[in-house]
Amino acid sequence: MQNDVIVIGAGVVGCLTARELSRYSLRTLVVEAGGDVAEGASKANSAIVHAGFDAKPGTNKAKFNVLGNQMFENTCKELKVPFKRNGSLVLAFSADERKSLEDLKERAGVNGVPVEIIEQEELRKREPNVSPEAVAALWAPTGGICCPYQLAFRAAENAAANGVTFAFDAQVVKIEKTEDGWRLSCADGRTFAATCVINCAGIHSDELNNLVSATKYNIQARRGEYLMLDRDEEKSFSATMFQVPSKMGKGILVSPTVDGTVIVGPTAEDIPDKEDKATTYEGLEKVKAGARRTWPELPLNKVITEFSGLRAHETTVSDFILGEPPDAPGFFNAVGVESPGLTSAPALGEYLSGLVVEKLNGMRKDGRRVERKAATEISHDVSEWPVTREMSKKDLAELIKKEPSFGRVICRCEEITEGEIRAAIRARVGARTLDGIKRRTRSGMGRCQGGFCTPRLIEILGEELGLPPEAFLASRKKAPAALRALDAEKAAHAGDIWDVTVIGAGPAGLAAACAAKEAGAQNVLVLERDDAAGGILQQCIHNGFGLHRFKEELTGPEYAKRYIEMAEKLSIPTRCGTMVVEFAKDADGKLITVTTMSRREGLQEIKTKAVVLAMGCRERPRGALMTPGTRPAGVYTAGTVQRLVNMEGIMPGKRVVILGSGDIGLIMARRLTFQGAKVLACIEIMKKSSGLMRNVVQCLQDFDIPLLLSHTVTDVEGTEHVTGVKVSKVDDNLKPILGTEIHYDCDTLLLSCGLIPENELTKAAGIEIDPKTRGPKVDAAMATSMPGVFAGGNVVRVYDLVDWVSRDSEIAGRSAAKYALDLH
Amino acid sequence: MRLICINCPKGCELEVSVDGDKVTVTGQGCPRGETYGRAEATNPTRMVTGLVKVAGSRRPLPVKTRTAIPKRLISDVTNLLANTTVIPPKRIGDVILSDVCGTGVDVVATADF
Repeated sequence: MQNDVIVIGAGVVGCLTARELSRYSLRTLVVEAGGDVAEGASKANSAIVHAGFDAKPGTNKAKFNVLGNQMFENTCKELKVPFKRNGSLVLAFSADERKSLEDLKERAGVNGVPVEIIEQEELRKREPNVSPEAVAALWAPTGGICCPYQLAFRAAENAAANGVTFAFDAQVVKIEKTEDGWRLSCADGRTFAATCVINCAGIHSDELNNLVSATKYNIQARRGEYLMLDRDEEKSFSATMFQVPSKMGKGILVSPTVDGTVIVGPTAEDIPDKEDKATTYEGLEKVKAGARRTWPELPLNKVITEFSGLRAHETTVSDFILGEPPDAPGFFNAVGVESPGLTSAPALGEYLSGLVVEKLNGMRKDGRRVERKAATEISHDVSEWPVTREMSKKDLAELIKKEPSFGRVICRCEEITEGEIRAAIRARVGARTLDGIKRRTRSGMGRCQGGFCTPRLIEILGEELGLPPEAFLASRKKAPAALRALDAEKAAHAGDIWDVTVIGAGPAGLAAACAAKEAGAQNVLVLERDDAAGGILQQCIHNGFGLHRFKEELTGPEYAKRYIEMAEKLSIPTRCGTMVVEFAKDADGKLITVTTMSRREGLQEIKTKAVVLAMGCRERPRGALMTPGTRPAGVYTAGTVQRLVNMEGIMPGKRVVILGSGDIGLIMARRLTFQGAKVLACIEIMKKSSGLMRNVVQCLQDFDIPLLLSHTVTDVEGTEHVTGVKVSKVDDNLKPILGTEIHYDCDTLLLSCGLIPENELTKAAGIEIDPKTRGPKVDAAMATSMPGVFAGGNVVRVYDLVDWVSRDSEIAGRSAAKYALDLH
Repeated sequence: MRLICINCPKGCELEVSVDGDKVTVTGQGCPRGETYGRAEATNPTRMVTGLVKVAGSRRPLPVKTRTAIPKRLISDVTNLLANTTVIPPKRIGDVILSDVCGTGVDVVATADF
């Protein structure tokens, strides 16, 4: 799918740029190498909104710092991100440094930044904790503090609300010029195409520029180490306390944060490895020593964490390098964005998006301009959620009444509730890792640093994202592999029209999908309502599958695995936990819209050329058999017990009677015997077993379980739980014969009385149903009465062998592919 | 001896007669039927599929004997499986119990865990 614009890098600059672009009718994709928004410098910096007095006049740094500072308040207001203009002070500790303040003041004048010099007395009045050695300070009232990663998150959310898509774990390794623009290839093999590309790749932005342009840049990773102090110290300083800057940076600062903690740092050390974010003994010693110049009483026992971040320092120009290299039209750089990058970000976003829109306008041959969306079309949603810590008692009480999860505190240090954590996971660009939750909600950022909340957080992550909790312990910043694969697939196909969409990932659906792909369909998608692919075979742990298809005898999960692997090999995505709620032909009679529902994605509409129905079948329940008696616990269909025993590890009873001799009932007679239950009898109303003879032999006869033909259950006993059943002989008209009752003391009655194709979707779509099979009427190509809709497997008619399910579904898959390829 | 072959869903009816060392099988639809008939008359065997417990999980792991084992040992094997707990991760095909009950046959996992 061709994008208008790809932004590389989901840091604060990339996200704000994407947000600006989302105000135009453009297809914009953000490609990020890391696993989340703000994974680079945006998550580890001083969180300062610089006034802009110290940048060298005439540079991009100076220009965008001042502009960005002016925009910051409004941007943060729109995005509901904390921001405070607390002002900043640059401390002078000697007469020489006092002179430097004068120089800075002069520079501030050129840059248009209001400042004043205050003397020691005034300084100590304002900041009582400041060192008595500080003789004067430069006061810049426009300096501020903000939360840089919140800014990136909310910008991403707002961009996503306005149609921007995101691809994470997508490290761009190759960039090629194409006829229509650029094609990006990622380390994992994904490719993305766009007319224009904006390089906001932070510390790696030089590498990307160097892939496309002969003008080479070089970014030096400049590491800064920090200490973070507990909220107890919130009132220590009101302004951000700088020292007179050096060549390497603005020196060690001490600053309040918008979260109430105190940040101390950073060092500035050039290092060879662009990923090395370790803290060091020497570095932290430097931070302490530097901070003590400003704050002699620095309380080290209030340190809650240390971290380091990397500045993207460009060595050839030492400025922000912005715009299009002359030899790479349509490729726009934001290279070397180090401090004051955060402050400049809103202005950079506006500038870069403006350049791209202008470029796209120039490229359009039809003369039509890139349209700015009408104000009413632009969403202001930033996926914010109630932050209970900041609410009034009355509002909080109301909220908890409505949504009790906001009353359950998960992170006691920062008072973050379950409701906030779930909201952070459910956001558009939601958290998928412990770090993701931490930065979105502050859960785990307080004084215990995740000691108490981690076990609860992984449980909630697991619940929300459908994975076992331990999956989230493998990495703090990379989502579990299963999730990454899912997101990668979605990002790669966002907005696609699928050739073939298969409903159901059982043996029928997977076989159809593989056959469709092999028959030439490009985009094949499988939708599965269960949490995993494989369908009912996952619970059929017995052997006997695959004799025809694979010429060997497999168990159900083994057979399923073969098809799951085949689908993986063919790169067919399977979306699990996704229920199709309806499908219908579009008004033009060509495409089909499939509406799906899932926990993560909510309601979604998928456009497809063809559909293969592969929903399987369900068991006939007791109610449909009209078996007389009480309605106690302990009456199950055979498949329900199969799931309980084989997949959930639950044995529902010890003495079992089975009504009906369908194959699942027979198989379960043996399984329950193996698991230690006593199967008393298998009761069949007909004169012969409805299951396969081989199953009668190996599941009943092998264990001396009697098969009572021409018998049925005529009474179920027990009020709470089954205590017994009555079984009677039936005559040729299947009527029970009085006086033939046999009584069984049992605690479980299993029903194996037939399977019914599951066709609620089919019927709702208006497709013709065969009253005999109860499945859709199909022709030899497995085509239903609706053009473009095909069907395979037990949804058509109930098969006794999975091998034939696969075979016939492959026909359906091939027919669907042919239909899709012929559709114009 | 009249038997129903369990090799495939067809379920051929076999007639097996034993006369000293000489075993005759008739009624089979394929050579597998003859092998089955002979085995049933001399040393009947069965595949066993089952479940073992997984440490730290309620969900069991499905397993199977890699090949058929003597029928008379089925309950020994299922009892042993009931008392077996494995430590994840397990991959499909991993050996769970080797030479189960002296049969020379391994019990292997039939699913990933």
